[in-house]
Amino acid sequence: MPGAKKGPAAAAGPRRDVLASLRMASMEDISRAALPAEIVSSILDHVGPVDLIRAARSCKLMHEMAYDDTRWVHRLKRIGCWDEADARKHAEVLFGTVANMEAVEQQEEAEIGDGSVPAVTIGDDPSNELNKMSDGFDKIELVNTSAQSNMLDDLNSDPSLVGLKQVRSIRGEARQEYGKLHAALAPFYEDIARNGPSAENLVFTRYQDPQAQAQLLAQLLSFAKSDIEQGWEQRLEHLQGTVSLFETAALKEFREGYESEDVDGTMRKYAHILWTLNGGQSAVDIFIHHNHIMTRKSELGNVADCIDGQAGTVKMEQTQAFFTRFSVAFNDEISIMNRVFPSNLDISSAFMEKVGQDVLSPFLTAIFDELHRSSIGSYLTAISATFVQCMNLSEALLPTKTSDAKFDEYLDNVVIKIYEPHIDLYLAEELDHFKKTCEATVRDWDRQLSEQAASTESFLMSNVNRQADKRDFLTSFKKVIMMPVNILPSFSSTKPEETKPETEFSSDNPFQAPKSPNRFSTISSPAPVAVEEVPTTELAAKAAIMKVKMEGIRSLFSIEIALGLVHAAKASLERAAQFVRLGGELALAAKQQCEAIFVTMLRILGHQHVIVGFDKAVSHLSNYRPREQGERDQSGVEPLVTFLELVNVGDLILQMMDVFYEQELIGTRLTDRNDFLDPANKEKKKFEQMLDERVAAGLNKGIDVLMEEVDYILATRQLATDFNPGVSSDPHRQTMDVGVSEVATAVVDVVSSHTQMLVGSTDKSTLDVFNQEVGLRLFTALCKHLKRQRVSVEGSLKLISDMNHYFKYIQTLRNTELLLYFTAFRELVQIYLVDPSDAKELANLIADADRFHGIWRVEEVIEFAERRADWYQVKRDVERAMYGIGCNVM
Amino acid sequence: MSAITLTSSDGIEMSVDRTTAERSVLIKNMLDDLGDSGDAVPLPNVNEAVLKKVIEWCEHHKNDAPSASDDDDNRRKTTDIDEWDQKFMQVDQEMLFEIILAANYLDIKALLDVGCKTVANMIKGKSPEEIRKTFNIQNDFTPEEEDQIRRENEWAEDR
Repeated sequence: MPGAKKGPAAAAGPRRDVLASLRMASMEDISRAALPAEIVSSILDHVGPVDLIRAARSCKLMHEMAYDDTRWVHRLKRIGCWDEADARKHAEVLFGTVANMEAVEQQEEAEIGDGSVPAVTIGDDPSNELNKMSDGFDKIELVNTSAQSNMLDDLNSDPSLVGLKQVRSIRGEARQEYGKLHAALAPFYEDIARNGPSAENLVFTRYQDPQAQAQLLAQLLSFAKSDIEQGWEQRLEHLQGTVSLFETAALKEFREGYESEDVDGTMRKYAHILWTLNGGQSAVDIFIHHNHIMTRKSELGNVADCIDGQAGTVKMEQTQAFFTRFSVAFNDEISIMNRVFPSNLDISSAFMEKVGQDVLSPFLTAIFDELHRSSIGSYLTAISATFVQCMNLSEALLPTKTSDAKFDEYLDNVVIKIYEPHIDLYLAEELDHFKKTCEATVRDWDRQLSEQAASTESFLMSNVNRQADKRDFLTSFKKVIMMPVNILPSFSSTKPEETKPETEFSSDNPFQAPKSPNRFSTISSPAPVAVEEVPTTELAAKAAIMKVKMEGIRSLFSIEIALGLVHAAKASLERAAQFVRLGGELALAAKQQCEAIFVTMLRILGHQHVIVGFDKAVSHLSNYRPREQGERDQSGVEPLVTFLELVNVGDLILQMMDVFYEQELIGTRLTDRNDFLDPANKEKKKFEQMLDERVAAGLNKGIDVLMEEVDYILATRQLATDFNPGVSSDPHRQTMDVGVSEVATAVVDVVSSHTQMLVGSTDKSTLDVFNQEVGLRLFTALCKHLKRQRVSVEGSLKLISDMNHYFKYIQTLRNTELLLYFTAFRELVQIYLVDPSDAKELANLIADADRFHGIWRVEEVIEFAERRADWYQVKRDVERAMYGIGCNVM
Repeated sequence: MSAITLTSSDGIEMSVDRTTAERSVLIKNMLDDLGDSGDAVPLPNVNEAVLKKVIEWCEHHKNDAPSASDDDDNRRKTTDIDEWDQKFMQVDQEMLFEIILAANYLDIKALLDVGCKTVANMIKGKSPEEIRKTFNIQNDFTPEEEDQIRRENEWAEDR
């Protein structure tokens, strides 16, 4: 009885009408005023899609607001299937391409901002037609029909499975697009939300194929993002529960596939399924964590095999074998990865990290720890060598197909991770080891030396071909330096000979041993050294020759020690420099350590070896008393010769350092030459400076010694008869002997031989200063000497030739200022030549200051003139000529 | 903690902690602009009952962190109304709307949100007719028009 039913209701209305209308009116007033459109709109923001559509049906205003395109676009965006660029393109096609941006923006604003107008119209009419064509909603039927079949073709057309991809980004039609999605996915979603995760979910009952299930679940996960109504958390939880249920099952299959090595079947299938579901991360994790390479890592190599227990050294062949086996195993896994995982899933990074952490790192750490306990030297070699081997791995390992470009980068990261904990210790040890070795070498040498301190110091004058020798030596040195130190000696069959100089020099003994027999041998027997050592390389041979030549200064320092130190430094540097290519903090630390090694080398070589030698030589020089020296060598002042040799060697070492610096630090870009604050640069400067100072101090002393020698020669060997043959008692003497006196020759020989030694070993300015000083001192010495002589007119001829001899020598020094003095000297001696009868001439000569270039005053010239043998005869005439004339004028 | 006085539209004065009152951006701005003169702040759009309710809410929430931004994620997270607010919103519909209006007027964003969500929950699962009743609106569709909307959105039909 519908009428009856309606009756009371209709009746109830009017009955309450009197009161109700009043209430209604007031309510309506308030409500109308109460909720303005913007609030209603924001209320609708919190309303689910189904309710939104119902609200749209309530009145036109609501319809307008609910249909607002932005609302639906927003929803699609949350799901993640709205492409703004695509939408814009579509809009442009629709409205024509717009020339100026402003118009576009305005249009966009119009569309988005108050999109209600177009939204309603579009939503009303065209969508109507769309619906009549009904391409979106008929597919709901498809779901049902395709549900039974597992054919892949169906999978691709089933909107429940591929709906997200089919969503078009068209402004104004977002609602329809959402509608399609909703129709396809909401039933499954609500089913899960209602019933919670279980195997009986609609998803699993409707689709049998796990691939389809994965696809659907993936879609649902996206779709769930648009659900923001109350209770979404719980619904999402249910959905995630379902997903993990599915995931666990799939992972189990995947793992079984891996265990049974069914790579292309089960593994591949489930990897793809899991990838479809949520990116496949869980499959990747499983694969990585249960990888065969980890479980079978003990097969790759054994730590004990890699260490030579007796020698405490690392066996490079063994570690290399380990790396080779590793790379084979790794490549196997990579090929599995390539086959199993979808191409755009990048797992190699994680895989390598894991492998590095679980396989490489423990192995290497074990080796390092063991070696660190037993032998620092081999520890250092092992670290650097295995590092290089690690780096070489990148060539052996096949990249996965997904990560060609980034593969090396990953590998580098892995290697860095492995070596990071060791590097600090390694670098510290490296420096320490180097320091210790060097100091031990130097100390050892010092000790040997002091034991034989009493031994005579023979010296040699081998400066015949000195510069050529030095150049020769330096070239071979450079060659050796430029050759790479072979960190992996055992694997480079190509250059076995290069490693020899290194081993030869890095150990202390080889260059000590051959030395002892030679210590007492004379210069003339250099053979034993060369023969005993049988130099294997050019440098070794050259060093041997050099050593023989340097025999004279072997008590001061040894070029071989220097070479040894340089080689030890080079080996350390090259090992440490390997780590520079890691980049970042570690590279910085490695760089600093390289510089520290260089600095240490300079310090030890400089302070403890070269400088000590120099100081010793200088003290020898200052203790030298020519007069106390009984028998003497003809050719030179021994300590001075030694010292000058030293200067030469110092220069050689300086050049060696320079070459080393260029090659090892600048060449490998460890140090910036222009960075004057750099410790290596500073230390190098300091070293050079120190050497220069020592050279200067030594030269100063050397000049003193040289002049003492000259004085000694002049005092002891100048015969009184030389310039005053008249006093001789020898009746057979030759009347006119105009040759150079023996003394002058000796003096010039002594001086020139010593100055000659310096040529080419110090820089030109030092040499000039030295020569000038020598010249001036020689000049003073000669003046003093002359004032002690008695010169007759007859003897003056010899004196003149002596002076000419000195002059000629000075000329070779090419010093004009110095030459002036000796020119004056030459002029001066003419006063002895003047015949006693020409007193007036003599007076003129003496008074002519210009003649002596102002070097002597007249009084001084008179002093010289007093040395004439016949001075007392001519004195009166001369004085009269000089002062008498003066008196006359007065 | 100074107290200020608010005057409702019906002339009732109420003393409130300043921090509580400053949940309202409107009042906060007014106080900032005028300085603390001690004068009552007139709120001509809010009557006493509603104002009491609003102050009650502000008291409870005065220590909340100021809501950061109203971006999508944030809003989504705060969708669920906490228990106290749910209880607080159990008022008759008229009052609910008044509170929403007052929150809108006083610019208390969090309260407005809570209100809107409450209303959204109210219309959940309601038929269009019920929605009309809730909002007290007239159906200005012809039956054909309404039917058409329904057909347009068949996906939203209950199954």
